[in-house]
This record gives sequence, structure tokens and C-alpha cells, in this order.
Amino acid sequence: MAKRMDPVLPWWRAMLGDIQFWIPLTVLAAGLVLLRWVA
Amino acid sequence: MTSPTPLAAARLRQLQAVGVLSGFAAGAWLGAAEAPTKVVTLGISPVAISFVMVFGVFLARWSLPALIRGTANVGVDVRRAPHLVVWALIAGCLWAVANTLTIFAIRDIGLSIAFPLWNTNSLLGIVWGAVLFNELRGAGRTRWLAVAGGATVMFGGALLLALASPSQAGAGNAFRGMAAAIGAGVLWGTMYIPYRKAYLTGMNPLSFVTFFTIGELGLMTVLAFAYLGGPEGAWQELARARGVLFWLLLGGFVWVVGDLFQQYAAKYIGIGRGIPLSNTNQLWGLLWGILVFGELAGGGSATYAQVVGGSLIMALGAGAIALATAPAAEHLRWQEAAQREAARYGVDPAYVGARLAGEDPDARRGRTIWDWIIVGAATAVFVVFATTARAPQLAMHHGWVAALALALLVLLGAGGAALWRTTRFG
Repeated sequence: MAKRMDPVLPWWRAMLGDIQFWIPLTVLAAGLVLLRWVA
Repeated sequence: MTSPTPLAAARLRQLQAVGVLSGFAAGAWLGAAEAPTKVVTLGISPVAISFVMVFGVFLARWSLPALIRGTANVGVDVRRAPHLVVWALIAGCLWAVANTLTIFAIRDIGLSIAFPLWNTNSLLGIVWGAVLFNELRGAGRTRWLAVAGGATVMFGGALLLALASPSQAGAGNAFRGMAAAIGAGVLWGTMYIPYRKAYLTGMNPLSFVTFFTIGELGLMTVLAFAYLGGPEGAWQELARARGVLFWLLLGGFVWVVGDLFQQYAAKYIGIGRGIPLSNTNQLWGLLWGILVFGELAGGGSATYAQVVGGSLIMALGAGAIALATAPAAEHLRWQEAAQREAARYGVDPAYVGARLAGEDPDARRGRTIWDWIIVGAATAVFVVFATTARAPQLAMHHGWVAALALALLVLLGAGGAALWRTTRFG
């Protein structure tokens, strides 16, 4: 059985508070805007 | 948080060696993926070519992991670290946007200028690896110089090779083309954040690519519909190209083998070292072009000098990185980064530690009926497209095809055996 620790926050809340989550997401959004401009 | 226990020196050496070998095997297979696409003659939209290749990638990314390890293990990984599914989807979307940007970059400024610009992704990978995941921390100045210097030297070699590569000059807005190429580099470089995040937390590379490919194919389908005139326009474009669809699917399949090796390289030597090593794909792509398709035939001595010089420089940079493997002090910093991830997301630290050491304590051996159905369905799709494929109307040197294919198989055998012996594909 997969054993998980008892996190303080649910994983999705922990993810939203993780700066490393926002970096790729921001770059992806910027990439889509760039694509719209160059296409 | 307790301090992590250092990995035994012999085990660390094994993992680093298998990571370096995976990096080089990735370069060879990613470079070879260009070969099937070269038989596709002009007249087909690049977006349609990209879309079909991604479909081939999708088939391979579901069937190869099912064949190698069985999909039951994907479920185990998801239960351990469900947040990584989101990360893998984002990485797949980043890939799709970056790949589409390269199409417009080539249109506007030509491949020889665009390629080096988006190839900067490995330099960005080094920055993210060091800033976010403790890579190169505690590595000492010599290793720092070898990795950063090696990647910079490789960039110089790539520049020379790109200038020597036969390609049509772009015919569009130069500023827009450069923005697209640099943008693609930034997107690809940033895509390695989810890679490293997943592998520090213990996800198996075969599980990661399974979700990555859903994001990749999903967004690529949206983009293909947007640029080809909706589902109807896309269908017409694909119907027009049906004679070459098999070659594009094959390119996607070969690409996935390279990508899997790249994932293992990212896992065991980090993105700072793994990505530059797999960027040797440019060298292999050029080898296929020159030896098999005679692309430089009639080229001047200056072109050949650029190719030889660029290849040597690139090999030198890759060699420097390969020799600068992570010492125990640096690996300890990786373990600290992994512990941080475990604490943040509530993943069992014992699981994270074991996976980082290349062990797979809760792996399920064997395949289920679903695995065989997936493998059978993917194979059937390839067979159907193969029956409608047109033989390429292109002069090829078959002796070199055999020699390069043999080199690929040797690297596949050596890399696969090393991964199996050391990590059981963990």
C-alpha cells in the first residue's frame, strides 16, 4: 500500500503555495501569448 | 527535519555512470528521430508534421512503459505523489508550445539562426537546477567550471554546426522570429523544472512521461486545430499527407526512446548535466543528414571545417560535463532538496530517499492484460499506417543507415542493460 505522510496541507494547497509551481505556469502563459503574436 | 544519510560512494558512482550513459544514449536517439522526418517532402504544413509526430510520441509513451514496467506502477506513483500529475501535464504543455514556436522561428529566420537560440535551453536548465534544486552546490569550483563551461562550449559548437547545416534562409520578420526562437528556449529550459521536481520526489520516469504526453498531445491538438482551420482543416491536411504519416509516427517513436533516456539522465545526474549531454542530438542529426542523405554534398571546404570543428567542440564540452559527475557533498544537497519536497507535499521520506538512490521498494513486477492491450493497440496503429506508407523518393546511403542503426542499438542495449542492472528502470 502506498504510504503517505500526513501533510499539514492537502497537496493542491501545498502546490499553490509553491513558487516552483508558478514559474513554469507563468512561462507557459507567456509562451501562449508569444505564440499568438508570432503566428 | 533530520539530515539525510549520505549515499554509499560505490552506489553514487554507479548512478552517476548510468546517468551519463543515459545522457549520451538520449543524444543519439533524439538525433536519429530527425531521420524519418527527412523523407517527408515539402508541401505539408509544419504544424501538421508536428502534430502527427506528437501522436506517434503519444503511442510510444503509453506502450513502451507498459512493455518495460507495466502500467500498474503508474498507479503506485500517483498514489504516492498525486501533485506530480499536474506538474507532468504542465511540462507537456510547455513542450507543445515551445515546439510550435520553433516552427514559426524557422519560418521567419531560418533553422541556422533559430536553432542555437532555442538551444540555450540547456543553459537555463543549469540555472534552474542550481537555483531551485541544489544542483552543483557543494560540487567544488572545478566541477562548476566543467559543467557551466562545458555547456557554454557545447553552445559554441552547436552554433558552428547550425551555421554549416543546410537550411533555407528565413523569409519573415527577423525580430519576431528571434523572439519565437528565444521563447522556445525559455519554455524548454523551464520544462526541466517539473522534470527535476518529479525525480527528486521519487516519481519513476516511465510514470512521468505517461502524464506528460497527455498535456503534450492535448495542447498540440488544440494548436493544430487553431492553425489548420479546425478539426475539418486538420483532417484534410492529414488526409493529403497520408502517404508519409507512418514516417512521422516512426520519428515520434524513435524520439520517445531518446526522451526516456533523457528522463533517466535528468533523474540520476540532474538537469544541469543531463540536458547538455542529451543536446548532443544535434551532432547525431547532422551525422544522419551528411552520411545517409548526403546533405553536404558539393559543400565547400569551409562548410566541412565548420562541421568538423563544431562537432569536436561539442564533443569536448560534453566530455567535460560527463567527467564532472556529482560528488558525495553535492548529492547530499540533492537529498536535502528531496527532503524539502517530501515535507512540503507529505510524501513518505523513506520512499523519496529510496527512489533517489535508484531503488524501487514497492514496484509491481509483471504486466497485466491492460498492458498487453495497450501495446497491441499501439502496434496495430503503426501497422495500419505502415500499410499506407509510400516508400521515400529520396537517395539514401543504405550502408550508413545500417551503421548508424547499429550504433543506436548498441547504445540502446548498453543504456538499457545499465539501467536495468543498476535501478531496474526505477
